[in-house]
Amino acid sequence: MKKGFHMLSLIGATALFLLFSITGGAAASDLAPFAEQEGALRVAGGTAHIPVMKEAAKQIIQSNPKIQISIAGGGSGLGIKQAGEGLIDIGNAGRKPTDEEISKYDLKLFKWAIDGVGAVVHPENSVKSLSSVQLQDIYSEKISNWKELGGTDRQINLYTRDEASGTRKVFWKKALSKGEISAKANVVISNGAMKTAVAGDPFAIGYISVGHMDPSVTPIALDGVAPNLDTVRSGEYKVARGLYSLSKGEPSGLAKLFLDFIFSPSGQKIVAEKGFIPVR
Amino acid sequence: MNRPHSFTEYIFLTAAVCSGLLTAAVFIFLFIFSLPLLQNGQLTDLLLSSWAPDKGMYGIYPMLSTSLTLACLSLAISFPVSLGCSFVITALAPARLRRFLLSMVRLMTGIPTVVYSFAALFLLVPFMRNILGQGSGMCILTAAPVLALLIAPTMIIFFVGSFEKVPRSSTLAVDALGGSEIQKLLYVMIPLAWPGILNGLLLGFGRAMGDTMISLMLAGNSASPLNSLTQSARSLTSHIALVMAFDFDSMEFKSIFVCGLVLYIFTAILMLLLRMSTLCFSGKR
Amino acid sequence: MIRRLIEDALTVLSWAAGLLLTLALLTLAGYLLKKGGSTLGVDLIFGDTAPLDALMLRRQVFDGLFPAMIGTLLLITGSMLIAIPVGIAAGIYMAEYCSGRVKGFFSLLFDILAGVPSIVVGLAGLSLTIFLHRHFSAQISTSLLISCLSLALLVLPYLIRTTQTALESIDPLIRRTAPALGASRLQNIIRVLLPNSISEIVGGIILATGRCAEDTAVIMLTGAVASAGLPRSIFGQYEALPFYIYYISSQYTGPDELARGFGAAILLILICAGLLLIALWMQKRLTTLLLYR
Repeated sequence: MKKGFHMLSLIGATALFLLFSITGGAAASDLAPFAEQEGALRVAGGTAHIPVMKEAAKQIIQSNPKIQISIAGGGSGLGIKQAGEGLIDIGNAGRKPTDEEISKYDLKLFKWAIDGVGAVVHPENSVKSLSSVQLQDIYSEKISNWKELGGTDRQINLYTRDEASGTRKVFWKKALSKGEISAKANVVISNGAMKTAVAGDPFAIGYISVGHMDPSVTPIALDGVAPNLDTVRSGEYKVARGLYSLSKGEPSGLAKLFLDFIFSPSGQKIVAEKGFIPVR
Repeated sequence: MNRPHSFTEYIFLTAAVCSGLLTAAVFIFLFIFSLPLLQNGQLTDLLLSSWAPDKGMYGIYPMLSTSLTLACLSLAISFPVSLGCSFVITALAPARLRRFLLSMVRLMTGIPTVVYSFAALFLLVPFMRNILGQGSGMCILTAAPVLALLIAPTMIIFFVGSFEKVPRSSTLAVDALGGSEIQKLLYVMIPLAWPGILNGLLLGFGRAMGDTMISLMLAGNSASPLNSLTQSARSLTSHIALVMAFDFDSMEFKSIFVCGLVLYIFTAILMLLLRMSTLCFSGKR
Repeated sequence: MIRRLIEDALTVLSWAAGLLLTLALLTLAGYLLKKGGSTLGVDLIFGDTAPLDALMLRRQVFDGLFPAMIGTLLLITGSMLIAIPVGIAAGIYMAEYCSGRVKGFFSLLFDILAGVPSIVVGLAGLSLTIFLHRHFSAQISTSLLISCLSLALLVLPYLIRTTQTALESIDPLIRRTAPALGASRLQNIIRVLLPNSISEIVGGIILATGRCAEDTAVIMLTGAVASAGLPRSIFGQYEALPFYIYYISSQYTGPDELARGFGAAILLILICAGLLLIALWMQKRLTTLLLYR
């Protein structure tokens, strides 16, 4: 009985191995530099980056299990600061660090994707488009009921991100024109959490990275322009930003290989698959 | 007594002193890290002003009031339920059911808080949203019953324990007079065991104030001052969890150490109160 | 007459309270089972990796709970290794050597430590990390080791208290026999007192283990991350079951991941309740210790 189980899992493992060596996930040449490597790499910061980071880590680790890559969220603010303090090897940021931050920590920037930030509502919501002024009024609570926008007679449930978020900074600066964000808004701590919250609340409005949008939420057209890959790429949708990875000084060792991989054809393919606009 | 100064005794002593020092070290760490904020603003300012980092205000009053409201509300739900359960377990139920209920309550202490809040997030939050007809469903009113469920076993076990300590001579007297179980509880056990009940209440309050996951996942986390129970709110503990993401030099980050300090001092006072009430109780007996 | 009314009302209300609690618990269990019951199985733990490969560390597990389970296991082991010796030694001191005011002072300290919210313990761990990072080595960051230290601090008071109460509750007859026959104090402790209270002490240890397994607030501040694979060193970051549940609750990307979260919740309850049952079975008099959880 026990022997049978061993045999079975052996066959299973071989089959899986064969499967992987055929489909491969990534072109072997892009992963080749990792072959002789060993050690741990810490990545943290921007939460929009997480799906790309996870997939890249998965491919790297599957090619060489001796490498450990830990990925944490925390927001762009944390990514910039912790990379600067040397607490992590690669920090992610969904906004460009300020010049002060760059010079203070000697940060090197790697922009590997372009992304937009768009307001989203529940798919059942009849409101599908807003003007910039309306959006600002919603977030400053001047408009507090969907009725005023032609929707159901229900209070608008505001969702916003924590203060460390780069998504929040970009949305606040470019979509709200630095207008007020009501203190009464619910606070969530990542792009994923925002999507989950809005998808579960029929009267919610929130904002997420375009790369994170899927059918569970409906993007709101801002001044007639819907946030999607095409409008962001063409520059028609204005609330756009770069996705950055940062290192303190020139990256070395695993960090350099990891960043190289993100810029390689396989890495940029992941970027596109996860809904962002690759830079190469 | 002679004092044998053996080597092993010193090992035991060191262990105890280290553990005691660690308790103090936690306090010292919190104090040192929150010192910049304590020096800058007056303490009362910090405790009584609101949270608006954009305007340079780092007051923790909204979180403080949320924590206290949430703890009181969950206690108000949990106390009667726990007292009722402990009545059933001590006196009302037949012996076999008593044993079953007591084991169930003990088992409840083993359920992780994160599991309570995980289930409530998908079960209670949408339910509350529909009932209230406004808001996201994440509010104090949602978090309080879950928190009540969390602290109930603590209180029940304490209540049952203090009822059991009531001397048999008193309860036998009621039996001899032909009193019912509920009369025994009402006129003999509660008057004798009330300091124990008070202690259970204090412990439950402490647990309710100290829990993080339930308020973090269910209360909505908005930092605005508390106006109504149906509004999204942030407790001291979830504030620590949320702001942890900030950079280390910022005032925001330092403010979470003030929150930690407040929680620590609160615990210390609670434990002193407990100690005093226990002393009073044993003094009377 | 009014008294009679009050008595009856109280009886009814008490039963209602008991029923309410039971119902709440049944709802919780039923809901978790309904949502996550179907995920329970080998796939939940190992994802699409062959279990044997994962166990032999030949291949990393993605889309499975294996790394989180190993992370939790390492956390438990590490923190108990630190907490048990200190806790038991301090407990022996409290029960056998300490008396009077010193004892009162120490017990107050340990009570405070037991009552401090776990997130505050986590915050202390985080500040220790920042302190070490600034003043000793830039390499130091939140890690498995820091989490173990913080969790050890969290459970230390339970261990001290269990050991102390176990020793103090020993029958005075047993306590006095060995010294009367010429045994030293230490011999008495090691040969007589500890063996006599071993089941209670072990029960306390198991309870503390459950506490380490369930705590989320400490580890979210001291090094648990969303994705790390298997930890390769104690200075690395790691995944853990309770943090995984928290992460999934807000970040799930689809019904599959959510179901896995429910699966993880069931798994964690089984682990914690299992540990609790073992502890209860080993030690019948630990009711007081449950109170500090």
